[in-house]
Amino acid sequence: MATPKEMLTTWDKIQFGAVLPSFEDPKTKKRSKFHSYNYKVADWRVEKPVFNPDLCINCDFCWVWCPDSCILVEEVTTKRGKKQAKMVGIDYDHCKGCGVCVDVCPTPIKSLLMFPEHTPIEEALAQWPKKEDKKKD
Amino acid sequence: MLRIRWHSRAGQGAVTGAKALADVMARTGKFVQAYSVYGAEKRGAPMTAYDKIDDNPILDHSKWMSPDYVLVIDPSLVYQEEIVENTTDDTIFIVTSHLPKDELVKIAKHLEGRPLYVLDAIKISQEEIGRPIPNTPVLGAFVKVSGIIDFDTFLESIEDILSKFPQKIIDGNLRAIKRAAEEVQ
Amino acid sequence: MAEKYQLKKTEVWDGNMAAAHALRQAQVDVVAAYPITPSTPIVQNYAQFLADGYIDGEFVMVESEHSAMSACVGASAAGGRVATATSSQGYALMVEVLYQASGMRLPIVMTVVNRALASPLNIHGDHSDLYLGRDAGWIHLICNNPQEAYDLTLCAFKIAEDERVRLPVTTNQDGFLVSHTAQVVHPLDDDTAYKFIGDYKPLNPMLDTENPVTYGAQTEEEWHFEHKANQHKAIMDSFPVIEEVFQQFKDLTGREYKTIETYKMDDAEIALIVMGSTYETAMVAVDEARKKGIKVGVVMPRVFRPFPYNQLAEILKNVKAIATLDRSAPMGTTGALYNETAGALMANGQSAILTNYIYGLGGRDTTVEHLLQVIEETQQNAEAGKRVTPLQGFINLRGPKLSFN
Ligand code: SF4
Ligand code: SF4
Repeated sequence: MATPKEMLTTWDKIQFGAVLPSFEDPKTKKRSKFHSYNYKVADWRVEKPVFNPDLCINCDFCWVWCPDSCILVEEVTTKRGKKQAKMVGIDYDHCKGCGVCVDVCPTPIKSLLMFPEHTPIEEALAQWPKKEDKKKD
Repeated sequence: MLRIRWHSRAGQGAVTGAKALADVMARTGKFVQAYSVYGAEKRGAPMTAYDKIDDNPILDHSKWMSPDYVLVIDPSLVYQEEIVENTTDDTIFIVTSHLPKDELVKIAKHLEGRPLYVLDAIKISQEEIGRPIPNTPVLGAFVKVSGIIDFDTFLESIEDILSKFPQKIIDGNLRAIKRAAEEVQ
Repeated sequence: MAEKYQLKKTEVWDGNMAAAHALRQAQVDVVAAYPITPSTPIVQNYAQFLADGYIDGEFVMVESEHSAMSACVGASAAGGRVATATSSQGYALMVEVLYQASGMRLPIVMTVVNRALASPLNIHGDHSDLYLGRDAGWIHLICNNPQEAYDLTLCAFKIAEDERVRLPVTTNQDGFLVSHTAQVVHPLDDDTAYKFIGDYKPLNPMLDTENPVTYGAQTEEEWHFEHKANQHKAIMDSFPVIEEVFQQFKDLTGREYKTIETYKMDDAEIALIVMGSTYETAMVAVDEARKKGIKVGVVMPRVFRPFPYNQLAEILKNVKAIATLDRSAPMGTTGALYNETAGALMANGQSAILTNYIYGLGGRDTTVEHLLQVIEETQQNAEAGKRVTPLQGFINLRGPKLSFN
């Protein structure tokens, strides 16, 4: 993705040594303009992963494997009082559609599946394979 | 400027000897240069080391030298004609050999008519230090012959330079130096 | 705490020992190295100082020079004072990472012992490695004897780490002719030397986990040029800092360094331009030639990068003929010092009869006598008012006379 025009500074105002800070203000963790979070790469995508929360077992495999930190999680406390990261969805601004998360998802029917970029989420969920479907093939 | 060339075999201590002489003379306020001409050589290969001693800073960094003194610390190198290269009639040779001067010159003809001093530095170092490292005795003979520095001052400096070695080694070297000064002729 | 090393007022050190003591006194945080002849004793001595308790920092033995410079880049980016040493093939293997270090503006100090590049293999001194690293964005300082190897290594830290510079620096000494030649050195005591350099001030350290930074970002066509121009300006602008550090060093020690050294140039009609220990040998030759009435002087860029071209032109203003001496085979053109000098003269609207000599490759001896020949040939050019000697000659080369016009 091309660098946004407003970011193109001149030689005399360039970042020293091309060293890029993550934060504009480390105390408030305000992200700097160099932070890769600002770079949306979703337009690379041909297929997108869709998440089906009904099947997910919160194993966090997808979170570990996603090369672009696009698995969104929430901290929850289980019935036994253990803290856990609960998978809540996908950051579609930064997901590039590589399919790694789908590949590593261990549930018998995948909790993540790739669909064409233009397929609406509801439609994708409606098309989700059933157990019977799987036995057939 | 005083120029000294050492002929040795790698491992006999000519580099250490040349550096020790430079160190001794620097302590008297002289400027010095001590270097050697290396190949990528093995222990035992013939090599040369050099000292330059002067009242002024030494600027000439070339390796070439016409020496005032040639010190040959290996007895077999005495027979090689390289030891007279770039010398003049005044160049003084101090060589190690078990032969007396007149017999040595009969074989090493290139030394005939040259100002020549002989000592058996190998024997001295073996007997006094326990190893055939003839550099310090030849250095002792050089200081005696040249009179370049007061002998006791020289001994003091050498003792200090060797101070990182065990006392036995220091004593042996000092005995070897004194004996070399007495025996050189 | 590291122990203090008791140094005498007058030490007899070779260039390697001198550089090693300077590194020790700088209290370097990380030295990462892969020893190579003839700079091996720098690393060896440093390791010995560490083993004997004179050094607090880390010493990292790596598996190649590429790794050595990479480890230096990592440690420097992490926020420490960093140094290494190398020569020749090792230098060549580092080249890729030399550009990384300068581009990231990491003030690493590297004590280089100059040596020929294979093939054929040769362990002796010439400037092939220095010329190889010429455009790598490092400041290059030239040392002609062990005292200078010591002094300029101390200065190198101060120059590199100055907030107006923040660029890596090499100190260069001729293999064996300086590195293995023991001469009188007057060192500073440990405290004075350290105080001169000062504490290391980290800039954007990666180990500051509160404020994470990215080193080694990618910049394509839209960014790269601006970064490189900015870096070039930094090295061009480093002269005042270099001069300031040299002045502070003079105030402290009485020993004077200049960005360009000159000897007997005031009334000189002809000049030699040469870098490295041969500059000092040339001083002896100049004295000899002057006895015969030849008004000759000798010039040495103490700082090879940045190159002081305007200053050089100023020094050469009244000179009729100049011989530039390069200790590296230019392989297909005139030598680097010839080119730099020609450029400096042209840029200032000056001209002089300019010749080039290649000398000292692989440690080939260059004596006062050889330099006197060069002076005589240059004098012939001056007297004729035009070049009557070859454009490029070779000093102390065996065989039929080789030259190019
Ligand atoms: S498709 Fe690739 S980038 Fe997108 S969430 Fe899955 S693993 Fe991450
Ligand atoms: S890998 Fe599958 S099951 Fe595991 S957390 Fe991700 S979506 Fe849920």
